[in-house]
Order: sequence, then structure tokens, then C-alpha cells
Amino acid sequence: MLQYYKIAGLTVRMDTFGRTLEQAEPYLCPEQASVDMEIQIPEIDNETLHKEQPHLSLAECEYINTGRAFYSCLLDFNALMLHACAVVVDGKAYLFSAASGTGKSTHVNLWLKLFGDRAVILNDDKPTLRLEDGVWYAYGTPWSGKYDISSNQRVPLAGIAMIERSETNEIEPFTGSKAVFQILGQTLRPRGTRHRMVLLELMDKLMAQVPVWKLRCNMDPEAAIVSYEAMSGMKKENG
Amino acid sequence: MKIKEGFILREVAGDVVVLPSGDLEINAMITLNETAAFLWRAMEKEITREELIAASMKEYNVDEKTAAEAIDSFVEQLKTNDFLAE
Repeated sequence: MLQYYKIAGLTVRMDTFGRTLEQAEPYLCPEQASVDMEIQIPEIDNETLHKEQPHLSLAECEYINTGRAFYSCLLDFNALMLHACAVVVDGKAYLFSAASGTGKSTHVNLWLKLFGDRAVILNDDKPTLRLEDGVWYAYGTPWSGKYDISSNQRVPLAGIAMIERSETNEIEPFTGSKAVFQILGQTLRPRGTRHRMVLLELMDKLMAQVPVWKLRCNMDPEAAIVSYEAMSGMKKENG
Repeated sequence: MKIKEGFILREVAGDVVVLPSGDLEINAMITLNETAAFLWRAMEKEITREELIAASMKEYNVDEKTAAEAIDSFVEQLKTNDFLAE
């Protein structure tokens, strides 16, 4: 079904079915004269992916393909996607990034337990980060993890923490090329020299304005206090 | 001497990094310190060892021996990592 959507501040005309259609519903907008992105996945692409991964239905393949189409266009709009779990507390977005299985969602769940209703997940798998008028924002999108947890919001980005499992809970600023390389590992790496240059320029701007942290943590509730206090600059009051 | 085609160099987050350009997988990223970045940039076009030594001496105000040692060591690393054009 062909409809218009506003996703990460961009007007997207998308012709979809199945899981994408369902997940994109909160992003519907009235028909627009000018469109930033057109997304329509040829049937053959969904069928090809389905053949490669038969446990995925055609609707799930389309969901993967539409997501990929959206994320691969972002660099033209001062935006990028990050494989991260994004949580919002007091109007600010905190992102926790790492390779799959490291414990992003686990850590964010500690935040949910710690803050109750005061914390909301913005996107549990692939938030969009966008630089607009000199400010970095995190956005929810129709493409999230297997539990479909995402909300259609734009929230100022307060910080990004790269997670590593450890016995104890420690956090420190993470700077320079080592941080850049880790973040690069969790975003879509484009083909083509021009897009790679754009990505590096955007990463430079991101690192200049948004604090990036190295978080070594375990699964104790204390881990959430350690990360929150460092990333927000505030003490977690008792109760 | 010349660095191979196929790399992009940019300062990011205060460090000079080098990535493969084009469509090659980004499996690794190199970080260049200040001297290495200077030499890399100079070698993006064809340049002789002597020209490189002269340029370093001027840029860093060092004597020929110091410049030559730094350059030879750098070029050796380039060779080892297969960054030098044939």
C-alpha cells in the first residue's frame, strides 16, 4: 500500500505490506508535494532474501529490506543509524551500543527498572541519529528489534555508551580513533568513496558534540546508576 | 614512491584516520600520528625519497639523518602493510 510517512524528519513515500506497514503506522502523514525518499522493494528482492533465509516470511524480508533502504539513504540528510538501544529519561536520549548479544537491551532494562515510568525506550535496535541546526537528535523509526519497541519521537541526544561486559561497573570518556572505529562497526558502512567521506565528516561532527563513553558493566542494578550518573551528569537520588 | 590508490584520509575526533575507499570492506581502520599523516599526505602523489626528506626537514626543522630515519621506517611499514604502489 502506497502511503506517505514522516520518519526522522524526512518525508518518505513507501509502498509496503506486512510488518513494515504495521510498524510504520505511527509515522503516517498527509500526502506531500515533495518527497525526500521513495521506498518500494521489488518482489524479487524479498523472494531472494526469503530463499537465503527460509525461516523469515516474505513480510519479514520486506521489513528488513525497507529498513535497509531507509538507512542507506540517511547520509544524504546529515543522519546515520546506530545499532543501539536508545532510552529516554527526562527529555534526553541515551544510547547503548555494542555488537549483538553483548547486552544493550539488558542494560537498558536496568534503566527501566531504576526509573519506572520516567524511562521510555525510543528504539530498541536501530535509532536514527540526525544533525539538525547544530543539534544532534535521536529518532524512533518503524524499524526496531524483534519486540517492535520504538516510539515516534525526536529527542536531543545526550550521549552514546559503547558497552563491554565486565565483572565490575566502570565508565570513562571514549575518544579518538578507537571510539570512531567502534562506532563505525555499529553503523551501516556505505559503499563508494563519496559516501564514506560523508560518513567520516558526520562522525567527526558527532564526536565533537556528543559525549561518547566506554562502559564496562555487569548485570547488577548498580550498572544503571553508574552509567546514568556519568552520562547525565546528575546524581540518582534515592527512591 | 607513492601510496596505493584506494584510501581515504580524514581527521576524525582529533586523530587522522585512513579507510579503504570505494566498495572494499571496512575491516580495519588505520590511525596516523602527526608525522605519519604528514608523510602519507606527501606520498599521495609520486615523490622521491630525497624530495620527501627535504620536505620533512623543512616541516619539522630536523636534520637530514633524523628525517631519513623516520621516512625509511615509515616506508618500511607501508611496504609491510601493502600500502605502497608498485
